[in-house]
Amino acid sequence: MIATLLLVALLAPVLASGLCLLMPRPGAVLAVVRTGGLILGAWLASLACVAFKAGALYGAGGWLYMDPLSAFHALVLAVVYAASSVYADIYFQAELADGSFGLEQARRFGSLWFGALAAMTMVLVSGNLGLMWVGMEATTLITAFLICVHVRPLALEAMWKYLVVCSVGVAFAFVGTILIGASAQKLNLNAYELLLWTRLRGSAASLDPAFMKLAFVFLLVGYGTKAGLAPMHNWLPDAHSQAPAPVSALFSGFMLNAGLYCIMRCLPLVEGALGGSGWAMHLLIVMGCISIVVAAAFIAFQHDSKRLLAYSSVEHMGIIALGTGLGGAGVFAALWHTLNHALCKPLAFFAAGRLGQVYGSHDLRQMAGSLRKTPWWGAGLFGSLLALIGVAPFAIFMSELQILKAAANARAFWAMGIFLAATCIVFVGVLRHAIEAAWGESPVEPQVENAGRASQALVLGGLGILLLLGLWLPGPLSRAIEQAAAVVRGG
Amino acid sequence: MGNLIDGVTALLLITNLMLLGSSFLSSCIRIVALQGVAVGLLPILMHERGPLWRPLLLGVAVMILKGGVFPFVLSRAMREADVRREVEPFVGATLSIVCGVLALMLSMWLAARLGLSAIAPGTLIVPAGLATMLIGLFVIASRRKAVTQVLGYIVMENGIFALGVALAGGIPLLVELGILLDAFVAVFIMSIATYHINREFDHIDVDQLNKLKG
Amino acid sequence: MIRALLPPAVGLAASPLLFAVINRTKAFFAGRRGPPLLQPYFDLWKLLQKGATYSRTTTWVFRAGPVVGLACSATALLLLPWGNLPALVAFPGDFVLFAYLLSVGRFFTVLAALDTGSSFEGMGASREVFFSALSEPALFLGLAAVAVRTRTLCLSEMVGAISPSAWAAEGPSLVLVCAALFAVLLAENARIPVDDPTTHLELTMIHEVMVLDHSGPDLAFIQWGAAVKLWLFGSLLVGLAVPVRTGDAWLDGAAFAAGMLAVAVLVGVVESCMARVRLVRVPVLILGAAALTVVALVLVVR
Repeated sequence: MIATLLLVALLAPVLASGLCLLMPRPGAVLAVVRTGGLILGAWLASLACVAFKAGALYGAGGWLYMDPLSAFHALVLAVVYAASSVYADIYFQAELADGSFGLEQARRFGSLWFGALAAMTMVLVSGNLGLMWVGMEATTLITAFLICVHVRPLALEAMWKYLVVCSVGVAFAFVGTILIGASAQKLNLNAYELLLWTRLRGSAASLDPAFMKLAFVFLLVGYGTKAGLAPMHNWLPDAHSQAPAPVSALFSGFMLNAGLYCIMRCLPLVEGALGGSGWAMHLLIVMGCISIVVAAAFIAFQHDSKRLLAYSSVEHMGIIALGTGLGGAGVFAALWHTLNHALCKPLAFFAAGRLGQVYGSHDLRQMAGSLRKTPWWGAGLFGSLLALIGVAPFAIFMSELQILKAAANARAFWAMGIFLAATCIVFVGVLRHAIEAAWGESPVEPQVENAGRASQALVLGGLGILLLLGLWLPGPLSRAIEQAAAVVRGG
Repeated sequence: MGNLIDGVTALLLITNLMLLGSSFLSSCIRIVALQGVAVGLLPILMHERGPLWRPLLLGVAVMILKGGVFPFVLSRAMREADVRREVEPFVGATLSIVCGVLALMLSMWLAARLGLSAIAPGTLIVPAGLATMLIGLFVIASRRKAVTQVLGYIVMENGIFALGVALAGGIPLLVELGILLDAFVAVFIMSIATYHINREFDHIDVDQLNKLKG
Repeated sequence: MIRALLPPAVGLAASPLLFAVINRTKAFFAGRRGPPLLQPYFDLWKLLQKGATYSRTTTWVFRAGPVVGLACSATALLLLPWGNLPALVAFPGDFVLFAYLLSVGRFFTVLAALDTGSSFEGMGASREVFFSALSEPALFLGLAAVAVRTRTLCLSEMVGAISPSAWAAEGPSLVLVCAALFAVLLAENARIPVDDPTTHLELTMIHEVMVLDHSGPDLAFIQWGAAVKLWLFGSLLVGLAVPVRTGDAWLDGAAFAAGMLAVAVLVGVVESCMARVRLVRVPVLILGAAALTVVALVLVVR
């Protein structure tokens, strides 16, 4: 029964993907994307709720598995995916009007869009580490062509980098997975149990510590590449800036988190094998700090709105890694931050994408005065940028504050210092651009059109939820995050 | 059996060095195909317990895919893209071979230092797999053409596969096949990308892909 | 004593035959009959009859070159075992002496070439030195792999220890060593694909260009020395590749002779089937051979 529910979540996107290939007109494909995205998102979200209630869902002998950690990420995926699907309709309708979005592009986009959901769901619902890796590699491959829905030189360049860097990175993660299998030699597991997470988690203490250390290094580098942690982030700004906005939103909103999710999945195994020495956590803290610093350095001088947002993603992934590495309350804060970032970043990409279409450029200096000329999306961009840099009442501020608190508790003052300094740089750097983009004088006169009901809902909903979560974290959500954090802590 | 495994391991290493030394794309593709067949033999030779059909199925699948399908797809991409037939590396063949030998030394040392060899005693598959992986990375980094980068990726994949066979022989077949499928799709997509890159840029030299910065 | 003297004597006498076999093989591939088997001897005899011409710029170094070359090769013959028949001179580490005797011979050939003062010969000399510097590691690493396998540093014991059981145990690494030694043989003896012994095109010549100024008996010594050198590498290769150690002198000798014949035919086949590689690719080829021996060493060392 449960297995069927999980399988449906896995296979329904595949069917939808096929359906997209059969659609006669680009508009019809977009309609399928919109409705399909909403329905599948709702399905995934409800599945996640069931998992939270039940503690964990099993299926197919543990190969399908959804515990609070994956349920939480499934929830994030559901929200991001549904919103991005609705936005994809808005975004491509504009291109439909000027004829650059033909049937071929539409079919390719639609089928790959649902394929990406299937792959990401597979990462989340597989209880087997090997299968999880297969899903992760599949996301790389399926999303590669989403970057060049329009085959242009720059998009191709970005796609090639993405493909090569991520394939190689994820291959490293596979070595890590193999090493986990090798470290379980003493357990004498049969082939079907060898990489089962539940099985390994149950006897983490008897895994070979030396191998697990090595495995974690490989996993961190491999999945870290996919998560965009510096210094493996090179592909990220290129891919994000060249991909269509809905795709960038999905990348930043969930695909990066999927990489971190895989690391979080393996963290309790490693720490269990090492007897909770905190070695792996330290590594995560270091990686997180490097990412934050590198991102801050690039954000300060970035004028391209989508590249700026991409580097901001590197920063936030670093923050999440930092929080996870701090342990204790930090894990809770990191997961909450995951949710907040996943709500905020897609909104920012939505706005940047639409403004880019309207102004004909993604340069923030060209978009100046967007708050006056295109009030809805201008407000969306300004609001989400404010939220991203951690302005007070928004939820991101709250989760960052909690991570700082966790750092203080863990006496990781150097990490705290780096975090604060880099956040200040980002704050100033982004705010300068944001104010310019909101109220400045643009050399370009945009082709203004009224934002539709769906656009208004996306902007209002996104900013509203961020504000709401910042002021008041609902009890059930808080409990759900706590449940997920408990899985990472391995308690 | 030990001799056969040694032979295959040696073949793995020799194909690596040949790849580093050869200067024509077509011969590179053939060499990688040969390596794919060698790698496909490993699970069959390493098989110790359990039913034979599992490693046999896996090995044959690998051999068909890496020895037949990949070279075909790549040769086609090369023909359609009408690329120049020379490899044109950033790092010359001589230096590449020296680097390859250094990579072999490094992986011997690593395997011994990390105690990896203890898992598959009596064979050199672990260091050979590591070396193959490193050399694959080196090929990706040091070669100019998109096709050669794909070849480097395949070589790296081969090395990881060898490592997988040696370190965790009992990986479930479903996972193995999934991995193989991924590799196949990756190569397939990369060749399509190669074609597109060639059409848009009039060449497939990836060092020209440098417009995106900062 | 007599028995131990037999291999060097046979080597000295029979080595020109290798050239004849190679030429016959090449002729066969080209569809010709080829020169008679004794042709190299006729050539040597003819050259020895003639007088020598010396340029006024040359000194005694030029005259010493051919003699020293032949002497070094002939001395190296004394170190070389024949199957399980040990060499006349055998001591631990003698393979180093073996390699360096050949180097001394080459050194004098190179000096003689430089002594002519011709830039043309200097070019050949520089190429020769460069390539032999590359092939030396291949030779040493290959012998080191065998030494590790047989746990001895003495050439005679090394070759003597190669038996069918050694092949069964260490087949892959021995194959690699033999392949590398064959490549070294081709490179050191200036054969295709490294050098073309029949060409007289300055752009491609390596060995041949160095000896252009020698004539008469000097040229005969050089050619004989070259034949002995080929014999040296050939018998080393056969010693490793043909593990026939019955103890019966006739049987072992026959196996050895067959092996040498096979090596010569193989060289002929390679020369017929392959083109000379471009000069810039030669280092790749030789280094590739060295890399093979590294792999072999790795396989043996574990």
